[in-house]
Amino acid sequence: MKARVLGIAIILVFGAVRLPFEVRLEKEQRALHYHGAKLDLGMRQRLSQMGFVAALSGFRAVVATVLHIEAYTSWQRVEWGRLKLTYDTICALEPRNMQSWDMAAWHMAYNASVAARENKEQPRLALRLKAEREYFKLGEDFLLRGIENNPDHALLFERLATIYRDKFKDHEKASRYYEEAARRPDAMQYVHRFAVYELAKVPGREREAYERLKALYEKGEEERLPTLLRSLGELEEKLDVPKARRLYSPPPQKP
Amino acid sequence: MSEPAISIQHVTKVFPIPFKRERVVAVDDLSLTVEPGQVYGLLGPNGSGKSTTMKIVLGLVTPTAGKTEIFGCDSTRVASREQVGFLPENPYFYKFLTGFETLQFFGKLCGLRAKKRDERARELLALVGLEGAADRRIGGYSKGMLQRIGLAQALVQEPRLLVLDEPTAGVDPAGSREIRDLILGFKARGITVLLCSHLLEQVQEICDRVGILHRGKLISEGRLTDLISIENQTELILENASPELLAEIAATTAASGARLVGQRKPQQNLERYFLDVTGGNQ
Amino acid sequence: MSRITAIASNTLLELVRQKVFYFMLLFAAIAIGVAFVASGMPFAEQFQVLKDAALGATSIFSFLLVTLATAMILPKEIEDRTLYTVLAKPVSRLEYLLGKLLGVYLLLFVAMLLMSVLFFVALFAREQLVIAATLKDYGPGPDGEAAVAAVKAAAFNWNLVPAILIIFTKSAVCAALTLMLSSFATSWIFTVMISVVIYIIGHVQPIAREAWLAQSGVNPSSVMKLFLGFTSLVFPDFQLFNIVDEIVVGNAVPGWMFGQVFALGLGYVFIYTLVGYIFFSNREL
Repeated sequence: MKARVLGIAIILVFGAVRLPFEVRLEKEQRALHYHGAKLDLGMRQRLSQMGFVAALSGFRAVVATVLHIEAYTSWQRVEWGRLKLTYDTICALEPRNMQSWDMAAWHMAYNASVAARENKEQPRLALRLKAEREYFKLGEDFLLRGIENNPDHALLFERLATIYRDKFKDHEKASRYYEEAARRPDAMQYVHRFAVYELAKVPGREREAYERLKALYEKGEEERLPTLLRSLGELEEKLDVPKARRLYSPPPQKP
Repeated sequence: MSEPAISIQHVTKVFPIPFKRERVVAVDDLSLTVEPGQVYGLLGPNGSGKSTTMKIVLGLVTPTAGKTEIFGCDSTRVASREQVGFLPENPYFYKFLTGFETLQFFGKLCGLRAKKRDERARELLALVGLEGAADRRIGGYSKGMLQRIGLAQALVQEPRLLVLDEPTAGVDPAGSREIRDLILGFKARGITVLLCSHLLEQVQEICDRVGILHRGKLISEGRLTDLISIENQTELILENASPELLAEIAATTAASGARLVGQRKPQQNLERYFLDVTGGNQ
Repeated sequence: MSRITAIASNTLLELVRQKVFYFMLLFAAIAIGVAFVASGMPFAEQFQVLKDAALGATSIFSFLLVTLATAMILPKEIEDRTLYTVLAKPVSRLEYLLGKLLGVYLLLFVAMLLMSVLFFVALFAREQLVIAATLKDYGPGPDGEAAVAAVKAAAFNWNLVPAILIIFTKSAVCAALTLMLSSFATSWIFTVMISVVIYIIGHVQPIAREAWLAQSGVNPSSVMKLFLGFTSLVFPDFQLFNIVDEIVVGNAVPGWMFGQVFALGLGYVFIYTLVGYIFFSNREL
């Protein structure tokens, strides 16, 4: 009897001793963005979400693997609805796996959307375009959720910017997300230039874009890439910069 | 005057029954002493407290009150077990080990060095007659072989005291006899033995002293010969006596005032008969 | 010490002769199966899936292995009465318990070593295949070299070694926990069930702790608070050991983080063993 009391007391005291240590360790892990983003959900909702993950913990990886395989088959069979649902689960299981978010968005915005636009069973173009746009939105949605869970990496910001640029043709948003990507330490070399190229296409912000292109130009040879020069030239034309102060001289027109 | 091999002083053990108010008194104010070199038989029906007493002596169970010592060392201390070898009732050993490995393992537990362990294991296997089965797994041993390897294991660190719980339970008569002879051999070498049994005949054959436990109390204790001989009777065993001689003895007896209580043919005991018939007595 | 090692090696020998290592065949089948199925995917994802499945399986297998093996020890020894013969020798109960735990750890070590070797062999074989295919696509030259470098970066990563060590630590904690439970439990089924329940609760424990410390939970009733506080203090936080997920995804985990998690695991093992010893030394056999 005494032994039981003593044993339980030791467990409780150990619980109290480790409490501050574990709270600190958890904070440190969160600072490194482990365990996914801390979602601002109600307690009950989080319990069910975490409970799901916990019940699978250990098994989680195995389940995710099987689902990856399932997603791959859905893609080959062109079953877009099922593909989306599968990726929803995969991403919930592994919120810190950026490849999953990226793949999901890519399937939606690039594969499913094209398939929707070219749907032979829907004769009306307007409806096909509407369906295409819905898939763009699904892709955007995956990336936004992915970013919430992985705010420390550039990859998903860059992917989202590219969707805004190529699919939605929303240059302002594209510029903003390239900008965000460029702030992350693992950003690719080119994204900061992309942010400015996109800004140059936003009506009303040509002046700002021009100043920034100029600043890049003056950084040196390594920034003076053909796209940058072309973009610079276009803006100089648009803003009517006096010929003498122009940085870009178009190559001589060949007859 | 040397210390007693076992000294049990006013030991009581009470087991509470979980979730009930009742308690079971397994051993009730028990005191007894076993002197070095004795073979002491602890007798009693099932549930009389024999096993609990033994477990207390070995430090496996802590007494509720009282104290036990082995050669002067308190039983609750690990060191007290250096002098004891124990053979539990129906011993089971690790089935996946061979006989040799089993003795090696127990030798290691007793802190024997590798070379000594090897020698000791071989020696003990020879002593209990299991050389042939040394490299067989225990899982395939018969009851009698298990009991013998159990004895060997108990002897591994050359203890001065052996505690044996029903050493012949479930063993056939030949095996039983071998074990009995082994115990008599230990006695000859000066090893003290505490034997628990309810096979009275066996106890009678080998014990110097017996104690009888009943419901946790020691109800009788003493030298075996003192306890069971009938002081005012004498047995005569005659060979080739004629009926006339017998009649004459009966008449003389009556004339002297003594009484002839009975007259019968002595019977071979069944064990001996069995051993003669099966040739197990060779 | 020699008694502890004698009991430890005996425990390992018992488990080995009981052929527990046959489960490795299942593990090998999973590794090969996943490598085969994943071969249709892009290479980065292929390695990802392989690592994920292999480490996940290692984690489950080692948890099941130690929990089952540890839960069986005491009940089996008591039932077979082997415990009596061992404790009737000059062996203290602490030595006995430590020997058993050490034996389970030896088993865990051997099992995880085998699983890791299988895993690395599968990963290496896959890597070689992918490299061969890449070289065929690109041909020799800087492009090919860059592509091969990318494949190599995606395949093996030195962070995988500490990941395996973390899995070992977590399983070691589970073994000590199970041993503590079995020091007072009367059947191994009870022990295994409670172990599994604690394992699961251990993964949601941080939620309870957070709600308790926040003092402003959804339900501020005192009963609820008591319950949350009890949960936070009694149950372990297994979520802190889940940094393995980060490593699988290829994120770097700093050395000091590993260090702290190991230290935490060590603390758990010590406390559970101590409490297990207290229970066991007072147990009537």
